[in-house]
Amino acid sequence: MHVERGDAARASDGLLTGLFEQGFVTTTADALINYVRTGSMWPVTFGLACCAIEMIHAGCSRYDLDRFGVIFRPSPRQSDLMIIAGTLTNKMAPALRRVYDQMAEPRWVISMGSCANGGGYYHSSYSVVRGCDRIVPVDVYIPGCPPTSEALIYGLLQLQNKIRRECTIAR
Amino acid sequence: MNVMIMPRVAESLVQSLRDEFGERVSARVCLDGASIDVAASDYLEVMERLRDAPSFRFEQLIDVCGIDYSAYGKTPWPGRRFAVIVHLLSVSKNRRVRVRCFVPDDAFPSIPSISSIWNSADWFEREAFDLFGIVFTGHANLRRILTDYGFDGHPLRKDFPVSGKVEVRYDAELARVVSDPVSIAPRVITPRVFPE
Amino acid sequence: MPEFRNYHLNFGPQHPAAHGVLRMVLELDGEVVVGADPHIGMLHRGTEKLAEDKKWMQSLPYMDRLDYVSSMCNEHAYCLALEKLLGIDVPIRARYIRVLFDEITRILNHLLWIGSHGLDVGAMSMVLYAFREREDLLDCYEAVSGTRVHAAYYRPGGVYRDLPDTMPKYAESKWKNAEKLKRLNAARSGSLLDFIDDFVARFPKRIDEYETLLTENRIWKQRLVNVGVVSRERALQLGFSGPMLRASGVEWDLRKTQPYEVYDRLDFGVPVGTVGDCYDRYLVRVEEMRQSTRLVKQCVDWLRANPGPVASDDCKAVAPPRAEMKSTIEGMIRHFKLFSEGFFVPEGEVYSAVEHPKGEFGVYAVSDGANKPYRLKIRSPGFAHLAAIGEMTQGHMIADVVTIIGSLDIVFGEIDR
Repeated sequence: MHVERGDAARASDGLLTGLFEQGFVTTTADALINYVRTGSMWPVTFGLACCAIEMIHAGCSRYDLDRFGVIFRPSPRQSDLMIIAGTLTNKMAPALRRVYDQMAEPRWVISMGSCANGGGYYHSSYSVVRGCDRIVPVDVYIPGCPPTSEALIYGLLQLQNKIRRECTIAR
Repeated sequence: MNVMIMPRVAESLVQSLRDEFGERVSARVCLDGASIDVAASDYLEVMERLRDAPSFRFEQLIDVCGIDYSAYGKTPWPGRRFAVIVHLLSVSKNRRVRVRCFVPDDAFPSIPSISSIWNSADWFEREAFDLFGIVFTGHANLRRILTDYGFDGHPLRKDFPVSGKVEVRYDAELARVVSDPVSIAPRVITPRVFPE
Repeated sequence: MPEFRNYHLNFGPQHPAAHGVLRMVLELDGEVVVGADPHIGMLHRGTEKLAEDKKWMQSLPYMDRLDYVSSMCNEHAYCLALEKLLGIDVPIRARYIRVLFDEITRILNHLLWIGSHGLDVGAMSMVLYAFREREDLLDCYEAVSGTRVHAAYYRPGGVYRDLPDTMPKYAESKWKNAEKLKRLNAARSGSLLDFIDDFVARFPKRIDEYETLLTENRIWKQRLVNVGVVSRERALQLGFSGPMLRASGVEWDLRKTQPYEVYDRLDFGVPVGTVGDCYDRYLVRVEEMRQSTRLVKQCVDWLRANPGPVASDDCKAVAPPRAEMKSTIEGMIRHFKLFSEGFFVPEGEVYSAVEHPKGEFGVYAVSDGANKPYRLKIRSPGFAHLAAIGEMTQGHMIADVVTIIGSLDIVFGEIDR
């Protein structure tokens, strides 16, 4: 069988391993799965505090997260990413965990801003969780108070890179 | 009300407060207007007259807050520990007044509720109860409002540590959020000092 | 006939229309709301306790994080309180700058409100239009303070620095060719004031655009008119302030009745509603945006003509300029004292209030003479507004609850503190 890799395969970032003239392509299952996962990361709309403003800005006119396939979903059941945007308090922690538990696997968590990362400006307060990683496992931490929308987008791209390194089939 | 004419307005208000209540309140002019101290036994009656008397007409209750004087100043505080501070606003006469009432009994502070005079006092009193432990008698729904469900203590009292008593984490075995005793020690970066 | 019973519905704390972390336990009779019990405190961060533990100056950025949608107005109330306690005078240029940014903040707040309220009620595209303008205004924030949301720009005694002469510009990239770049940078070639001037010139047309989409929109009116009516007497009794109070027909605006800074020299109108329903609150806020635009224009014109100092030179509490701190020993000592020990505030108590975009935002500060506040109480407008939600939602359908929450314009940073 004559196999020739075309320009399209070279340009598609290692996704396609073979391109056949008969009109079909080959790829690995892992590459395809990761392509789909990174291409449609749907975060649950979960704004806690100030960082939520930057999160909404990232989703709106200027920054337009749609370009990366990121669409905010109102329900945790439909989403695979949680952006913890803001201060997590003791009173909110059980609710946050419950939302996380409702998300379907595979799921990822981005901790956005100093408060979510480690308490930040409110670190010594009696009512603040000193880092949301005490409640849920976190994949990417974004520093800043609040991080700008660009920083959030950069964090999302870093998460995409992380997902690309995951292997679901080949272990 | 402009900054220049404000002291005069405050003075006339203080005068009319003295005329109305006589010795029962101590009225004074302070930085931002008029302020009166009232005894807990007169509290409800004075408040009602502040709302209804034609010379005052304070239609709006702006704020109710508690304060814990136990650490006030360089020398030990001589008076009662807790006070309730109420800010009132008269929309029709464009005036403000601050009412301070020291709460009797430091161990079990309790004072009548004014939520029947101004309905907006409802949540403000719940907040003062939550943060200071001041009980407002006659309040229909005196529950905690801001702090966590099952919170222990009253956080804005001066003897309550800033970092609190508990911190939460998720316990994978129990599959729920649990609270442990707090692990961080309070850190004083700049001490509280007074000018020499 | 089967027996029907009321049932309870838990709304939030994770709900897209809850504007943050509101949890409400609704008692329902079918679709009709019988009672609502809001549970707040999901964002209670202990600001008042933390402020007692920090120097006066270090608490200023906490004010930004209270109502994070209109951060500069929060700072304003805190600065006014400190200035009264310390007895500092603020230079006139700083007063104008503060008014300028208060009004920019008001527009920012109302834009977010109109966007999110539209989203809640079903006008999906509003949020995209409103955020287009918000981006421009956040650029103004960034130009003066270096950050987009939490500015910490107002300081006791003035503002942090004078308005910049240049605006940040877009750079050329793979996606932006010269033509596109020219269009994007058209308004950015001059100073910040030029940029704001340009914004003021095009913004009224943008408001017209929003009004075309909403004001006479049939669905919008069906969802808003006669929903959540609050009478004048009840509004006063419930402690309403700001647009909520004005929509109920009370002509009360602190900028007019108890003017602070330079509001008594500026020309603007105060819109007042007649019915006190959600639709009136919408109309009041839209008109406030127009009036704020006028105020911004007046401030820009004045600031162009009148250069001058933007911070008091009072040694007690105001940090020296950077150049003085770097070059003179006195400046360095003053700077060191202020940033290590802090400044001492004379014993006393003060309540200062500003007309915040959401209502009357007050700071009650008690000092016992030390370098830290003895007690700092923040009076947030949203707290009183949310307390009334049980009364406002009674007898309405469950979908109206979302409309009413939206029309309150609540932000949990200030309610829970």
